[in-house]
Amino acid sequence: MQKLFTYTTTLVFTLLLASTAAMAQFTVTGTVTDEKGEPMVGVTVVVKNTTVGTVSDLDGNYSLKVPGSSATLTFSSVGYEISEQSVSSSTGRLDVALEPSVTRLEEVVISGLATSVARRNLANAVSTVSSKELTGVTAPQTVDAALYGKFTGVVINANSGAPGGGIGVRLRGLTSINGNAQPLYIIDGVFMDNSSTPAGLNAISQAAAGGSASNQDNPSNRLADLNPDDIESIEILKGASAAALYGSRAATGVIIITTKRGKPGENMVNFSQTLGVATQLKKLGVRNFDAEKVEASFGASQVPVFEAAQAAGKIFNYEDELYGNKGLLSTTNLSLSGGNQTTQYYFGTTYKNEEGIVKNTGYEKLSLRLNLDHKLSERINLGFSNMYTLSSADRGFFNNDNTNTTMGVAYAATPAWADLFPDENGNYPNNPYTASNFLQTRDLITNNEKVNRYIGGANLTLKIYQTETATLQFIGRAGIDRYTLNTKALFPRTLQFQKDGNGTNGASIQGSATNNNANFNGFFVHSFFLPSGVSFRTQFGGTREEFRFNNILVTATELIGSQENVDQSGAVSVEQTRRNQTDMGFFVQEEVNWDDKVIATLGLRGDKSSNNGDPNQLYYYPKASLALNLHEFGFLPDKLSQLKLRAAFGQAGNFARFGSTFTSLGNTIIDGNAGSLINTLRGNNEVGPERQTEIETGFDLGFNRGRYALDFTYYVKSVADLLINVNVPTTSGFTTRVTNAADLRNNGIEVGLTLQPISNRNFNWYSRTAFWLNRSEITRLDVPAFNLGAFGATLGTFRIEEGKSATQIVGISPNGVVAFGDAEPDFQMSFQNTLNYKDLELSFLIHWKQGGDNINLSTLLTDIYGTSPDFDDTDLDPNGELTNGNYRLNSLGTTAQAWIEDASYVRLREIGLFYNFRNLFDGKVKNLRLGVSGNNLLNFFQYNSYDPEVSNFGSDGFSSNVEVLPFPSAKRFFGHLSVSF
Amino acid sequence: MKIYKFLSSLLPVLFIAGALCTFNACKIDDQVDPNGPSLEGVEGNATVGDLNNVVTGIESGMRNRLGTYFDGVGVIGREWYRFSGSDPRFTSDLLGKASATLDNNTFYTTTPFAERYRVVRNCNILLNAVNNTNADLTDEQKNGYRGYAKTIMAYQLLMALNQLHHCGIRIDVDDPDNLGTFVTYDEGLSTIATMLNEGAQLLQSAGDEFAFGLSSGFAGFNTPASFRQFNRALAARVSIYQLNGTAALQNLTESFFELTSDSTTLYKGVYHLFSNAGGDQINEMYYPLNSAAGGNLRAAQPSYITDAEPGDHRLWKVGMRADTAFQDGLQSAYDFYRYRSLSDPIPIVRNEELVLIYAEAQNLNGNSTEALFAINLIRSAAGLPNYSGGNSQNELRDEILKQRRYSLYGEGHRWIDMRRYDKLNELPIDRPDDDVWMNFPRPATENDDCPAESAG
Repeated sequence: MQKLFTYTTTLVFTLLLASTAAMAQFTVTGTVTDEKGEPMVGVTVVVKNTTVGTVSDLDGNYSLKVPGSSATLTFSSVGYEISEQSVSSSTGRLDVALEPSVTRLEEVVISGLATSVARRNLANAVSTVSSKELTGVTAPQTVDAALYGKFTGVVINANSGAPGGGIGVRLRGLTSINGNAQPLYIIDGVFMDNSSTPAGLNAISQAAAGGSASNQDNPSNRLADLNPDDIESIEILKGASAAALYGSRAATGVIIITTKRGKPGENMVNFSQTLGVATQLKKLGVRNFDAEKVEASFGASQVPVFEAAQAAGKIFNYEDELYGNKGLLSTTNLSLSGGNQTTQYYFGTTYKNEEGIVKNTGYEKLSLRLNLDHKLSERINLGFSNMYTLSSADRGFFNNDNTNTTMGVAYAATPAWADLFPDENGNYPNNPYTASNFLQTRDLITNNEKVNRYIGGANLTLKIYQTETATLQFIGRAGIDRYTLNTKALFPRTLQFQKDGNGTNGASIQGSATNNNANFNGFFVHSFFLPSGVSFRTQFGGTREEFRFNNILVTATELIGSQENVDQSGAVSVEQTRRNQTDMGFFVQEEVNWDDKVIATLGLRGDKSSNNGDPNQLYYYPKASLALNLHEFGFLPDKLSQLKLRAAFGQAGNFARFGSTFTSLGNTIIDGNAGSLINTLRGNNEVGPERQTEIETGFDLGFNRGRYALDFTYYVKSVADLLINVNVPTTSGFTTRVTNAADLRNNGIEVGLTLQPISNRNFNWYSRTAFWLNRSEITRLDVPAFNLGAFGATLGTFRIEEGKSATQIVGISPNGVVAFGDAEPDFQMSFQNTLNYKDLELSFLIHWKQGGDNINLSTLLTDIYGTSPDFDDTDLDPNGELTNGNYRLNSLGTTAQAWIEDASYVRLREIGLFYNFRNLFDGKVKNLRLGVSGNNLLNFFQYNSYDPEVSNFGSDGFSSNVEVLPFPSAKRFFGHLSVSF
Repeated sequence: MKIYKFLSSLLPVLFIAGALCTFNACKIDDQVDPNGPSLEGVEGNATVGDLNNVVTGIESGMRNRLGTYFDGVGVIGREWYRFSGSDPRFTSDLLGKASATLDNNTFYTTTPFAERYRVVRNCNILLNAVNNTNADLTDEQKNGYRGYAKTIMAYQLLMALNQLHHCGIRIDVDDPDNLGTFVTYDEGLSTIATMLNEGAQLLQSAGDEFAFGLSSGFAGFNTPASFRQFNRALAARVSIYQLNGTAALQNLTESFFELTSDSTTLYKGVYHLFSNAGGDQINEMYYPLNSAAGGNLRAAQPSYITDAEPGDHRLWKVGMRADTAFQDGLQSAYDFYRYRSLSDPIPIVRNEELVLIYAEAQNLNGNSTEALFAINLIRSAAGLPNYSGGNSQNELRDEILKQRRYSLYGEGHRWIDMRRYDKLNELPIDRPDDDVWMNFPRPATENDDCPAESAG
């Protein structure tokens, strides 16, 4: 060993010495300015096809020793066109003015785990969302909520309107049926947990009767902890061809988040305050009753009750009462950044306080970020990222239940003449029409999630050696993501459904989940330039990730008085769930660039994981891509400023869920004795990861220096060995077994049209129109076709069937079980526009989702209760005889068609109008920005409920597109003030 | 030269990475489930503690989805209506409203069935674990475990057979990769009878004490000898399902049967226990009186009240509502009130049923006097005068079915009783197009369809 080590060091030093040999050289100095003549700091100046380069200083000055007697210098800075200038030993001074870039061709995109590449050389359609697009128009609820319509190839779906978020993101179609279907999030190199931890509400709602695990609790997903204001950019790798180097976690796509960092130069201080209001997105109204309708729906005995209430003027609009809260929204942000050439900092803090449209719901978050960069020596750079978040979400109590205790279900079951209001002493009457008084529930329960989270990363870049034509770098990275999530659900014993033998005399359900993720990566990157203009970049590295999750959920019932502590109770039950996972992998990648004309990449990742049947089996994921910049060859007309052809291939994996390999016994209690009962999941020792293969091709076309640009991408994404919770014959004593039992294929197109029709000194109009669609098909199924998701074929369910769309929705009909719809949208479009007139700025984003069906069981329940707002309309029955309510109810048990509805929509997702006052008070205030904005202000849809965007079962794969009386969505309206010093 | 330099520069990189890997254990340890004991461990070499946990798991698991099972057989057997604010299928599918039918992939079919077989699996785990264990147990103690496992397994299979009837059940399910075929109803019954007999035999050679404990639901039945009485009571039930009066009478004599009208003795038997205690299960068959019709409630099928003889004490099992419960075209002024709290126990088998089995067995054997004697004991316990109808075998059978209807209300018998004597078409129909189902369909997961049939 010792000998080998000596050999290695010797080799490294030999190479270092060899590189310092003297050669002919000359010096070029100058100043770089922007289009207004202002000096630009941080512009990269490089001698083309070498590693020789520098960056401009605070005054825009640079000085560079150029080897040889003549060369080409490239000046580049994100957001500006690259400038190439020929220099020779006689040049001496060279001042350069950079032009702002219309396109985003110069921005860099992370292409390896440790390296990035300019977009113009990229072979994939990687989407990037900048901080301006993310938060520049309006104030988003969460980071994922800010992504709608801003890039192609995605379906984003909010689960409900509850404060604190809860969103599912699906990149280029559904890629997993029972495995994880949410993308991998990486923030500044740290693997970020985005799980959703249920609060144990099932103990009350019995939504999943007979089992305690429920995904119907409507928890938020942990991406909510991230503060959108701190984000510099988000990159979206939509499939394996771009994400192969992330290996066995990347099949669902990877979302890479980069936060803001300080730049050398003046200290920047920014303060902003946003104030807004949230109101119900769409009011459905209430059914107008008369005596006849009351008798038909509630029985003759209710008619006098109704008439008495009517005479007393006590007919209530409970929709306004329950969902009519004007939620106050406030976000305060302060950020400081700056630094010198060796040390830069960014500090940001945000306090957000948002009320929901239901009283006593809301979201509060305090987040702090400190990012530091330090140049320890010419060879060593260090970077640190730190995020701390404290948040609290009161999420109300909604979604499916089997006990009529959630507010949504109780509201649906209550006719307008019921009087649920408390008396002057605050005593709530029992709701005679259902098991709970939802006003009492709203006012007395607690359903709170509190998060305490730290995410930290450290980054070391070490230049091992550098010559004029080659560099070798080591990049080391470590990151941790640690949080404690405390859930607290309190149902006091005074509630209608907790007292007098109903329920358990109160319940206090408290959960404490801790999550500890750690990841360690080390990479070597070697760059090498040949004089012919061909350059090579080689990288090699290893990764290790650890995931530890531990959740302790305590359910205490038979509460003592109004006590909340779990020990102040007559009965306590505890559940503990742990998940441990260790992954290891390595990767290699080689990039070859011939003078920006042809760029080819080859790579391979190998991965193993404790989640696989054999934890030490390596699974390999290759990738290859090619980009051809035809405009660089010089034979195209000048007007055609870009013509790039690109093709990429890659594979990536997706793990089985933790526990898929275990056959274990669960615990159960009778009469104080603990017992072991076999779990219904049968372990499978042969289970392996899903393997996705994606091939993507496309072209980018730009005219007039990119003022008019068109990009087109076609992809085929095949997933082999899909993990399926195969239903096994229950006579075996088991119900499911995880098996790699199917293949599926997604294909789709993504088109973007970027236009800048007007661009002059005073007026600028930027517009981007995007169009995308995806189709899927189950191409292999080793088990018989089966239903999953939702509530069975009577009411509509998903069905996995060979040769059919993976997201088809089927239901019973007079002709047996037939397909009634598909959750996959026919297509989506977005129109993004920014207009600037001098210092006035108007931006808006319209998002159109065409097609895609939902299973709407809200309508079913309100029909059964006789409270549907459209109950008495007659536009459904082809014979025009039955009312809508009766028509739908009559079809129950005969066909599921009535509940499978088109969920198309067109929305004004975002609109913002701002005015910038520049250089006030003798330049003491650099910028004062005032504006108004809105989120989902205009919505057009036929869908018969609050919002076609909904999910009763949370964010995972198949669960979206099912609605059962959710927390209704809100539209949000804001006023903004922002000051920069 | 430059190419050489390029290549050589990579060597140290590869070398360092390789060295790190050899030292720093690139190996990932095999995982064990951190959340519960593994099956391999229990079946391989269980401790006495492990075995006893499996025993308790079996007893506890018998209660899983029992409420759904009872709602299935009780609603189809027209004992009560199950109103649910959030699930319409209790009043549509179960009652065969219009064209609604029992679905082979919906909870009422699949979940109780799966839970019964889950307990069967646990019984097989217990049998395997007892065979493989190195724990310090005598053969008698081992037979105690085996007798317990066989008895409970037979009982769970009987419940599954009650659900599926002529669609049959699988008996041989020890190897999950190689499940036995579905056997017919009759074969199912005889195999269950055999399994009970095997259990009884094992219990006979199981010594005086079990090596395990049971809940107080088995109070009085927690030794090999007394547990065997429970086993024989179940065997007597199977015998009358087979219309075998002689076997039933023989089994009764070995059970805890007592011919009496004393109500305490009639309630003697084995029970599922429930409680509010942490982690325990509650009695899902309980809803408070006067629950709101828009929520969850069970309303007595009105004919249970209207068909009752005046003065029948057993009407305590229903409770008059303050208002009429009304849903989906069904209404009732009475709540189902057989179970009075979340911790009320549910009988598995009790003496009142045994007295009625005695009456039925005697009647099957043509001994009308003995049958009548038992009938009148039950009638007298219910506060009714002696039976005054005809004494033909059919008339007595109808009287026995009627007494079973009232005595065993809410204990899962009515539908099966009427089916045994081909009388499902005598059950009341509430809405013109409703159906009375013969059976639940075979669950979809068995991949061998056998649909629900209407009794017509």
